[in-house]
Amino acid sequence: MPKSIYIDPKEVRKPGQIKIAPIPVMQYKKSIDDELKEGNFKKEDLVRIYRDMAFIREFETMLNLVKTTGGYNGVAYNNPGPAHLSAGQEAAAVGMAYMLDTDDFIFGSHRSHGEILAKGLRSIEILPDKELKKVMEEFWGGATLAVASKGFKGTTKELGIRFLIYGAIAEIFARTTGFNKGLGGSMHTFFTPFGIYPNNAIVGGSGSIAVGAALYKKVNRKKGIVVANLGDGAMARGPVLEGMTFASMDQFHTMWEGDMKGGLPVLFNIMDNQYAMGGQTRGETMGYGFAARLGAGFNPDAMHAERVDGYNPLAVIDAFRRKKALLEAKQGPCLLDVVTYRYSGHSPSDQSSYRTKEEIAAWEAEDCIIAYGKKLIAAGLAKQKDLDAIQTKVKDTIFEMYKLAIDEEISPRMDLVKDNELLGDMMFSNQSIDSLSTAKPDVNHPMEENPRVKSIAGKTRFYVDAEGKPVSKMKMYNIKDGIFEAIIDRFYKDASLVAYGEENREWGGAFAVYRGLTEALPPHRLFNSPIAEAAIIGTAIGYAMCGGRVIPEIMYCDFLGCCGDEIFNQLPKWQAMSGNILKMPVVVRVSVGSKYGAQHSQDWTSLCTHIPGLKVAFPVTPYDAKGLMNSALQGTDPVIFFESQRIYDKGEEFHEGGVPEGYYEIPFGEPDIKRQGKDVTFLTIGATLYRALQAADMLKERFGLEAEVIDARSMVPFNYEKVIESVKKTGRIIIAGDACARGSFLNDLAANITDLCFDYLDAAPVVLGSRNWITPCHELEEAFFPQPVWFLDAIHEKMMPLKDYVPTANLTAAQQIIRAKKGV
Amino acid sequence: MPKQGQSVESCIIASIKKKGDSVKKGDIIFSYETDKASFEEESPVDGVVLECLYNEGDEVPVLTNVMAIGQPGEDVSALMAGSAAPAAAPAAEAPKAAEAPKAEAPAASAAPVAPAAPKAAPTGETFASPRARHLADKEALNLKDIAGSGPHGRIIERDVQAAVEARPKMTALAKEVARETGMQPTAGSGLAGTAKAADIKAVPNAVYGCDYEDKKLSNMRKIIAKSMHASLQNSAQLTHHLGADARRMMELRKKCKKAMEAGTLTANITLNDMVCYAVIKALKQYPNVNSHFLGESMRLFNKVHLGVAVDTDRGLMVPVVRNADDLSIVGLSNQLKTLAEACRKGGIDPDLLSPEAASFTVSNLGNYGVEIFTPVINLPQSAILGVNTIVPRPKDLGGGVYAFVPYIGLSLTYDHRALDGGEATRFLKQIAVEIENLQLDIF
Repeated sequence: MPKSIYIDPKEVRKPGQIKIAPIPVMQYKKSIDDELKEGNFKKEDLVRIYRDMAFIREFETMLNLVKTTGGYNGVAYNNPGPAHLSAGQEAAAVGMAYMLDTDDFIFGSHRSHGEILAKGLRSIEILPDKELKKVMEEFWGGATLAVASKGFKGTTKELGIRFLIYGAIAEIFARTTGFNKGLGGSMHTFFTPFGIYPNNAIVGGSGSIAVGAALYKKVNRKKGIVVANLGDGAMARGPVLEGMTFASMDQFHTMWEGDMKGGLPVLFNIMDNQYAMGGQTRGETMGYGFAARLGAGFNPDAMHAERVDGYNPLAVIDAFRRKKALLEAKQGPCLLDVVTYRYSGHSPSDQSSYRTKEEIAAWEAEDCIIAYGKKLIAAGLAKQKDLDAIQTKVKDTIFEMYKLAIDEEISPRMDLVKDNELLGDMMFSNQSIDSLSTAKPDVNHPMEENPRVKSIAGKTRFYVDAEGKPVSKMKMYNIKDGIFEAIIDRFYKDASLVAYGEENREWGGAFAVYRGLTEALPPHRLFNSPIAEAAIIGTAIGYAMCGGRVIPEIMYCDFLGCCGDEIFNQLPKWQAMSGNILKMPVVVRVSVGSKYGAQHSQDWTSLCTHIPGLKVAFPVTPYDAKGLMNSALQGTDPVIFFESQRIYDKGEEFHEGGVPEGYYEIPFGEPDIKRQGKDVTFLTIGATLYRALQAADMLKERFGLEAEVIDARSMVPFNYEKVIESVKKTGRIIIAGDACARGSFLNDLAANITDLCFDYLDAAPVVLGSRNWITPCHELEEAFFPQPVWFLDAIHEKMMPLKDYVPTANLTAAQQIIRAKKGV
Repeated sequence: MPKQGQSVESCIIASIKKKGDSVKKGDIIFSYETDKASFEEESPVDGVVLECLYNEGDEVPVLTNVMAIGQPGEDVSALMAGSAAPAAAPAAEAPKAAEAPKAEAPAASAAPVAPAAPKAAPTGETFASPRARHLADKEALNLKDIAGSGPHGRIIERDVQAAVEARPKMTALAKEVARETGMQPTAGSGLAGTAKAADIKAVPNAVYGCDYEDKKLSNMRKIIAKSMHASLQNSAQLTHHLGADARRMMELRKKCKKAMEAGTLTANITLNDMVCYAVIKALKQYPNVNSHFLGESMRLFNKVHLGVAVDTDRGLMVPVVRNADDLSIVGLSNQLKTLAEACRKGGIDPDLLSPEAASFTVSNLGNYGVEIFTPVINLPQSAILGVNTIVPRPKDLGGGVYAFVPYIGLSLTYDHRALDGGEATRFLKQIAVEIENLQLDIF
């Protein structure tokens, strides 16, 4: 909502017509001779295109034979994992890769073997031998190269091909010498030194991640474009459409300044193979006629969309040459609809019951490799025997690499049974890095001139003043200030840091945590995103994958549901799935709502703790918020950073001396004792801390019992030692938080504490979560969220009856069973 | 119904008082049998049988109420409801019964009647939190004796704590005994009412009870045990016995008494003082005896450091008189008395108790009438002299005259590694000679 853009009612209400830019369809008409005359290719380039297609075809044939016959060329092997093959799509893949440098990144799908081989072969061709050698020698300490170079004496480029083929097969067969130590597999294999970024087993997963990579390139002034290879089936996926929306934002042209002005260098490349699993996109499951039509929906340029013949590699190369020029001229994003056809089913288990043999035969009759070979012969660039020689060499290389990759001695798998913690130790990178960029951060003024910084300087950093009098809300340093201080500090330290989300800029976020940041930062470091949570998180993932630090914001915790794939399947997985090649320094700020009813007041912390690979924090004091945010921003792991709207304006009540002005970190995983006690322990997650403290007061005043109150602060990781010590002392523990009780992390804590402290317990740990209902409106919330009196009820009914106490809640076993039976 | 032994779960009533019977404290109110023996239960109070739940021949689970004794008009329904009597506890009343002990819990020990009233959960099963179990185990309490105040009558930590507070403080040993016997003290006889092991009384019938007490050794006892055992284990001890004519000594003793009465002598010179005086003189002539045996060498002392065994409440102590050969008889006498006193009062300098401090020891049991004994050497000393009582013995006085003469018995234990029999005998004889010819510097 920039004031600079005036919404003129006269303009807005003016009659007219929307003119859609024409979208070319199959306009490539050139012959090989034309291309040679125009100087677009050398002769050997054109032959190499044939070779590259042959490599892909044979690679996919090999996998298909392994899956369907249990071996290849008479050498048996069982590959239980997936194989989504792309035989038939070779021209589209090689055409896509031909124009790309190693600085240009591709992202793929579950059906991307062809794309990675094409991009890899192209990179091997254009990389100077010395660089190529270095890349191979440094990768896994030379382990992959050592196998690929076994008994080989030839050129560096030939060795590069063996390395590529072997690394890919070894990865698909889950070997430690594979490109991702065998942890990615068929649908995820990638190799960043060749500009190959992750393929993605979630349909359309790359649709927003690739946009984030383009954002990284733009903001950090890095060379190259980004290609998102997506299937036509992915065009139905919301996150893809969100990614296109994000990539098409007007603000790149209207608001971003200086060299930042202009579109994102991203190309949505649709490998339009006609099928979305067994559904036929054109004519059945979609209504677009041509996938290229989508471009018209996103910007007046229709994303420079074109529909091109993916059965002719030269047509694809031609299109890429033009699109790449547009992207380099900051005219992105672009969209290509590359028409192709997949011979095999979705996977080897697919019997292709949804199409006729005649249809497959008709496409095979126009096979892209055979047709292109004929053109080469016709143009006098090769004879049939030359092509046969290429085929022989390709087959020999793949067979040789296949044999190396299935050898248990040469290509071992990780032994996760023997080395039980190996994969566990790969889930997080746990690094501590001040800045992920060497550049000078783009800022508008020195930090001390920032109006918010100045206003905070006048605030009292503790909840009472020197005389012990409560500080007024306006003068009190609060949780928002703590988060702000940590974030602005990092913006001035790390040029790669960007933050965005809904109304993040002028508004400063719906709760004004960022108030003042707009003044400090140019639009490319802090901007408003479309209301597109999948794209907000998806782009952040792509941004971080490329090496940047990013704070995406989810305005209400409830909206995590809108970016489920990104939070559950993408963000937490890539560090381990890449074999620790990728880091994921993404701090997702998530605000837990209050007073706003069923879809705006839910606490989904437990969902996040359930997902391996995410760190989860929920600070509820200014001191903890600043310290944990500093830690999150210093680290290299994905953090879901929860904040509570109920207590944004809380002052610091615990840390002696108030919140320090300087930089400090609070390590993740350390719960904090907010009040000492001896009779019962309260362990809380989130804002429930303050209700637990009220309960502790009541307990002290009415029954003389002293509660020890511990704030979990972060849930993943979590150090139980302090809690164990406390329970050993008190013998009783109530674990409380605002998440709905059923399936919540509170139960996880309770189970572990029971396990770890069983002999010290005087009663089973009691979990106080919210009821398993919708969150009712604010006026009725008392019945839903754990209240101070619930703690007393729990002590009285479940632990030790309190003298003359009349409980309000029915906590009997019978009632518990009845509720469970009803599912509430 | 008392629980007579760990494995007993129920008993059969043999005879029993009837409702309305008057009883006096100590009267037999019922007799009962286990499969092994018969027992009788005495009334703990004077009163009337207000309620009786069982008849002869009934099988009664242990630790359940059998009857209520009190004053007419007292309400005992709560007690009865808590019992396991099938007829008296209809199902509908069960919850009420469950609450009764809960409400009473803090004052459970103050119940005026039937102190043996069972306090266990009415269902018969005892549920207790892990923490309560742990504490009960540590405090040697039986969970069956504790009423639970937690949810569903569960025994929780505070119930065990209350039981701990309701009984006397206990020594560690007492807890150990309580744990083994399953019994609790009712009162403590130790400091500030602390219950000692002895306070955990065996039940009247010793068949299932405990007829001994395991008492932890005091540190001093442990030290004595160790050094005495070590002495006998690690040396070659043997004892020679010899008598000395005590007439001269007894005469001197009379003289001393007279001198004391006359006020010319301040010290009360005892026979023991004189023997020690004689021993010192003998030692000066036999330096090999005034020594320590150190395995590879002998340490021969220039001075005599005389150890004297003193019997105290806390055990045997052997303080040393340093440089005893420098002392007059009065000085020696005073020193011996001062040291003995210090030992008995507990103010003795520990350095003076070390076996290394003395070069030779005298242990006198003559006062107790011991005629002969084999003292144990205080290693590394080479020998110890035991002094026995004086007995009259016939003696050839010469000229065909025989008379009964008082003889004092001397028992010299020596380490054969250090001394041979000849030398030891000569030394022992020298003591006798010194005794028989004793000259005191005061006369």
